[in-house]
Amino acid sequence: MEHYIDIFQAVLPSLLEGFWRTLGISLAGILGGSLIGFLLGLVRGQHIRYFTPLIGGYLHLLRGTPFLVQLYVVYFVLPNTGISLLMWDSLTAVLLCLAIYTSSYVTEIVSGAIRAIPRGQWEGAFAIGMRRGQTLWHIILPQSVMLILPSLGSVYVNLIKATSIVSVVGISELTRQGEINILRFPGDILFIYAIVAMIYFCYCFPVLKLVDWLEKNAGRQRAARKRPSPTPGGSAPLNEPNVKA
Amino acid sequence: MRNILKAAIGAVAMAAMALGATAPAGAETEMDEILQRGELRVGVQTQGAPVSFINKNGERTGLAIEIVKMMADDLGVKLVLQDYDWKGLIPALLGGKFDFIAADMTPTPQRTAQLLFSRPFFYQETVAMTAKDSGRTSWQDLNKDGVNVGGVQGGTYVTAIKEFLPAATVKEFASGPASAQALAAGRVDGALTDLGNARSYVGEYDNLMILDGVITREPLAFATRAENGHLKFWMDNYFELISANGKLDRLVEYWWSSRAWEADHK
Amino acid sequence: MTFLEPVADWIVGVYNFRIVALYADEFARGITNTLLAAGASLALSLILGTLLAALRLSSNRLLSALAEIYIQVIRSTPLLLQIYIVYFALPLLVPATARWPELWIGILALTLHTAPYMAEIIRSGIQSVARGQIEGALAVGMTFRQRAQHIVLPQAFANIMPALLGQTAILVKDTSLLSLITVFDLVAAGMLLNSERIKPNEGFLSVAVIYFAIYLLLLLASRFVERKLAGPAWNKATA
Repeated sequence: MEHYIDIFQAVLPSLLEGFWRTLGISLAGILGGSLIGFLLGLVRGQHIRYFTPLIGGYLHLLRGTPFLVQLYVVYFVLPNTGISLLMWDSLTAVLLCLAIYTSSYVTEIVSGAIRAIPRGQWEGAFAIGMRRGQTLWHIILPQSVMLILPSLGSVYVNLIKATSIVSVVGISELTRQGEINILRFPGDILFIYAIVAMIYFCYCFPVLKLVDWLEKNAGRQRAARKRPSPTPGGSAPLNEPNVKA
Repeated sequence: MRNILKAAIGAVAMAAMALGATAPAGAETEMDEILQRGELRVGVQTQGAPVSFINKNGERTGLAIEIVKMMADDLGVKLVLQDYDWKGLIPALLGGKFDFIAADMTPTPQRTAQLLFSRPFFYQETVAMTAKDSGRTSWQDLNKDGVNVGGVQGGTYVTAIKEFLPAATVKEFASGPASAQALAAGRVDGALTDLGNARSYVGEYDNLMILDGVITREPLAFATRAENGHLKFWMDNYFELISANGKLDRLVEYWWSSRAWEADHK
Repeated sequence: MTFLEPVADWIVGVYNFRIVALYADEFARGITNTLLAAGASLALSLILGTLLAALRLSSNRLLSALAEIYIQVIRSTPLLLQIYIVYFALPLLVPATARWPELWIGILALTLHTAPYMAEIIRSGIQSVARGQIEGALAVGMTFRQRAQHIVLPQAFANIMPALLGQTAILVKDTSLLSLITVFDLVAAGMLLNSERIKPNEGFLSVAVIYFAIYLLLLLASRFVERKLAGPAWNKATA
């Protein structure tokens, strides 16, 4: 027992250091991803010629390839084009990659939420002389927010878990710090992995619980209205955002 | 069906946009750039003592790290170390993420066709490790059907397994520690690495031992991009200098040939 | 023809398909292992997922709670960590697994990871069948077996098919992490090309394109199934 306490004290500082980096990367990722995703989702939700199919291609491209492969492409292939603009340092590349990855989910959530608002509301707003932007801001978005929030929480948990993969290119986040500590105490590999898993759990689980709570509450408020996802509680189908964390 | 076609076309369009056209990089020499930005950016990996590892104080150190620290001090610039997976080092260098690779990298014919290597700073000996209770004594004992031997993905140990242990099956790991870990866990029967790393792994994992005999001998050098001629000559000159004044020998003695570093860093 | 030459040169400069062709065998091996890992994990996780769903719906408090804890722990930790734990730490607990081929280990890890998601899908599928239909079936005197076979399961299956295909697409992508525990999958094939020839474009773009092709096939399958099984669950709110 004493042995485990010693190991715990020895590894905890550097694991926490890794956790802070995981926290920072995931926060930056969700901010960037939400921003890109929100803008693209606004466009995609309204059927604008050329843009909507182009964004569709972007989403399929991101959803059809593993994050690890996307990371390798952004990391190793894009700088290889020789364009100096694309030669990011490692952290920028990782953040960009996570933001793009996240944006594919957010786009689909936002556009789905906008489309979930009945067509008649747009027509009504136009009829009383409101412009497209005004309609979006005053009529559509306020109703969509409760549809967006729970799904966004699931995306966030997905993102947190995806950050573990950036350890592969040497960002010293939580998983990477775990590996480095295993090098120091190879005999206690299971124990160190358990601590790492526990830290992830403490980060993700509350978010997941919040998502469940939001889903229940949002569900109560609009019990009569249809949900954007046809399978509550499960993963969404291929042509819907796969966001269940 | 049409939607799928649309998705595919959209995807291709996006990919083409992302790739774009090629354009030349900056014109000044890489040494000017390093001095102007006041930062020496070096790509390293964390394969464990004694080349590059995190010591008991949580600081990165080791033979390769101490050499680049000296380099940065002598240039009067800040040292920025970027930690990569082994397989990521060369692509990241080619991608311009840092100025050069400081790792235990062998200038193989394939690598030298793409990169510019400094003159070797050291010659390492490749050895094999196995489990203590395996009953094997020399590395030739691993050359049998059904025996799994680990090496690092894209590393020269993998080449050595294929060349010197043709009967064995190669298992490629992302890093040296991963292959040592897999060996200790019993996932593979043997693992190839250099003598320095092997000594440190068997020190850490009680159930491992080094098999008798040196499998092959390889020079180690730092690597930079093919166009960085100035930097290559600067590194050559630097190794010449620290060989002449004995600094390099002292570092190699401390980190590699003895276990003196363990008292300070373990 | 002449104006095409610079274009061809540019393409070979960016993506030298001749080098990729040299690695056709490796890529074929990689695709086989990727599909094998995904297929086996899919089948096994459906079995384990059904079991978990049954446990969660069971009236036994303890079993239900244990299933819930397992599901939450898996959902709250990264897959990569789960794979590392199974690969590096499992032999400490169960020495016999040390000699398993790494593909098995990968399938085991992916199954343990995917089963909770499958359980959720299956549970929601069973619960999606309207209560009234079961009452109706009871009223006309159907046995449990008849209810399950003719009323609940066909509808539940049709209702969860889209989610199931979505999870399968995720599973195929998740197999990419197996390359990190020495499984020779698609990513490992691309990595081999990249490390032997030092050609990141040819290595990684080929891998991305092949994954995308698998995804498009799954998309095609899901559209097909959507038409065949068109039922109430398919009337999407987002139409």
